[in-house]
Amino acid sequence: MISRFFLALGLCVLMLVSSFTMFVYLGGRQSKVAAPAQKPTVASPKPHAYILPGTLYLTQSGALYSLSSGRFHQLTPEAGWTQPSLYPDNAFLLAVQKNELYSDVYIVTRFGQVVRQITNNTASSRDPDTGSRHWSFYPRLAPDMLTMFMSYDSPKFGYDVPFSVWGVPISGAPGGRLWTNANDYTGGDMQPIPLRGGGIMYTKYSYGPDGNLVGQLWLTTRPTPSGNEGRPLTSTIDDCMSPSFSPDGRQVAMVCTYGRQIARLVIASWDGSNFGPLIGVITDQLVAQPVWAPDGSGIAYLAPGSGDAPFQLWFLPKDAYNPPPPPPTPVPTPTPGGPYHGTPPSPTPAPPVLAPVVKPIQITTNAGFDATSPLAWAG
Amino acid sequence: MPLGIKPGRRARASRRRLSIVRTAALAIFAIGLSAMAGSVAYFLPAAKLAWDATGQVISVPSPTPSPSSTAVSSPTPPPLYQPGAFTVLLLGSDDDSKFSPDHVLTQSMILVRVLPATKQVIMLSIPRDLYVPFWSGGSGKIDGAYSYGQAGGAIATVQQDFGVHIDDYIWIGLLGLIHLIDAIGGVDVVTSNPVIDDYYPQDLFTTDPYEYQRVAVLAGPQHLDGIHAMQYVRSRHNDLQSDIGRSKRQQQVLLAIRQKAKSVSSADVTAIAGALGGEIKTSMGIDRVAQLIPLASTFDSPNNITQIVMLPPLWHGGGPGGSLTPNWSEILPFVHQYFP
Repeated sequence: MISRFFLALGLCVLMLVSSFTMFVYLGGRQSKVAAPAQKPTVASPKPHAYILPGTLYLTQSGALYSLSSGRFHQLTPEAGWTQPSLYPDNAFLLAVQKNELYSDVYIVTRFGQVVRQITNNTASSRDPDTGSRHWSFYPRLAPDMLTMFMSYDSPKFGYDVPFSVWGVPISGAPGGRLWTNANDYTGGDMQPIPLRGGGIMYTKYSYGPDGNLVGQLWLTTRPTPSGNEGRPLTSTIDDCMSPSFSPDGRQVAMVCTYGRQIARLVIASWDGSNFGPLIGVITDQLVAQPVWAPDGSGIAYLAPGSGDAPFQLWFLPKDAYNPPPPPPTPVPTPTPGGPYHGTPPSPTPAPPVLAPVVKPIQITTNAGFDATSPLAWAG
Repeated sequence: MPLGIKPGRRARASRRRLSIVRTAALAIFAIGLSAMAGSVAYFLPAAKLAWDATGQVISVPSPTPSPSSTAVSSPTPPPLYQPGAFTVLLLGSDDDSKFSPDHVLTQSMILVRVLPATKQVIMLSIPRDLYVPFWSGGSGKIDGAYSYGQAGGAIATVQQDFGVHIDDYIWIGLLGLIHLIDAIGGVDVVTSNPVIDDYYPQDLFTTDPYEYQRVAVLAGPQHLDGIHAMQYVRSRHNDLQSDIGRSKRQQQVLLAIRQKAKSVSSADVTAIAGALGGEIKTSMGIDRVAQLIPLASTFDSPNNITQIVMLPPLWHGGGPGGSLTPNWSEILPFVHQYFP
């Protein structure tokens, strides 16, 4: 038996606790969709995590990160850094620093220290015309280590601001050359990849036959002579972008959307001037920025993680797109005792060899990488 | 009496005490009641938004016959009519400080037909520069219809000129779209091309709404927060198709919002409601909204989503004030294929 006073007091406490508990419980039931992405350095490597070879460079929230031996390192502060690419000898990185009005290319050590600024795209602070500034994106150094290619918004004409591919001396000396002639009102020519034999492969945006804007991979071997800057390698229907060469230079990985809200990882052979058939390798993910492992062991790319997490790092082992050859058929050994003249035995069909299904491996779970920033991978 | 206890006092004290069973029942009732109170407190912001934003009463005046629409033969019965199907007019407005709240332009007007039985959605973007007769009399670009009667005026004009029936509307302001996308953690979009604009209006989060800023949304699959998604769907200067081009981008982001909304739980409603504030209004009642949320997640196949923008010969340029002149004899049969 309890006195009424203590009962009332107890009930009040109980009601307070239960209403507060319900409030907190409901708050805890919120999904994590709006939670900010973790810095990749926060997650400690798991003992049995898949370790990628070499060092991979990637971007999150305006900071450059490296991944080596399963561990992330933050190279720069969160200050608009994006789109790292490696020197051909892997000695340095080129990277873009972007702010609200313009972006510039810098040479950066592999530990994130700025060595030198290459472009100067700002304008006087007294110049009120926003169009006086420029963007530089997707820098790449040519194999000769003398010329840097990049997408640059010049020439531009008022509201028409197309990107063109430019080649500029990495030394900083004057003498930049316009390599492509962008289509007006399309966004232009993006993501140039210098080729070993000279020339560049890049993504050109244009209006497709149905009037939609699409990407196409193009090839040009010399700076634009009177507007004729090369030829297409893919069709407008495929809507492809973001090319990346395999270490032996005989295959190209790219992203194709077929004009829809999908982004497939596609691979094609490359003979130096043309693609072989385009083969879809990953068709159920939103794939961005594929890059080949320097040792040829697979392809890394960015795609949303499971549970609709923002773009994470994934790795597709080589066996997924280059399955190992089937075991050799046993050679019949001659039967001793001379030729056989009877009815030959009917051959027993060999059981079909099923290639193991190789699935992509999710390397990070809550990092949220910048999917417009290509990955760079050093051996 | 021993110990001086008066007779009947113990009995009265005993009556003031409760039995264990009655106490337990009372405690369970109190726990249930207070848990409900906790829930109410949690969902209060969402309930307030629902109360403020949904069930907006609109008065749609009887349409005034317009010369253009009456000149066209009556439409054939719509083939896509199904029980339970309904049509919503999505309105997206500049609601920055350049305009008074009642006289904003609806820069984005999208007719959406939802067919629950076959899990189909049809989206038709109406060019904002289309020169049409207003329900209130006079003519102008269709984005100005909202100024003459707000949502009711926009609905009446679309119903009158296109000969369609609109069941409900949803209006969202620029800030509302930004906050909505941020509240669901951003959206994953395959941007079709680099969207570059040297003269993008800097009319939000600023003291001078007539300033410009530079915008560079790069191409390809990416995660967009509210600000960048807004830049992607709003920029039109560097697009040969101008408003038509951005209408296509608006549809892409709408579908991305729908996709992302599948990951949202009911417990997120409060945070989303808090983020939206007064930046969204709809004529739908809470019951229809509640019916739609689970329905949205069942529309999975991209093949069941039809995205339409109006292109020539449905209109041609050269109208008054840079407007588009509608070709009603082409538009009406085209629209009535999808919208009754």
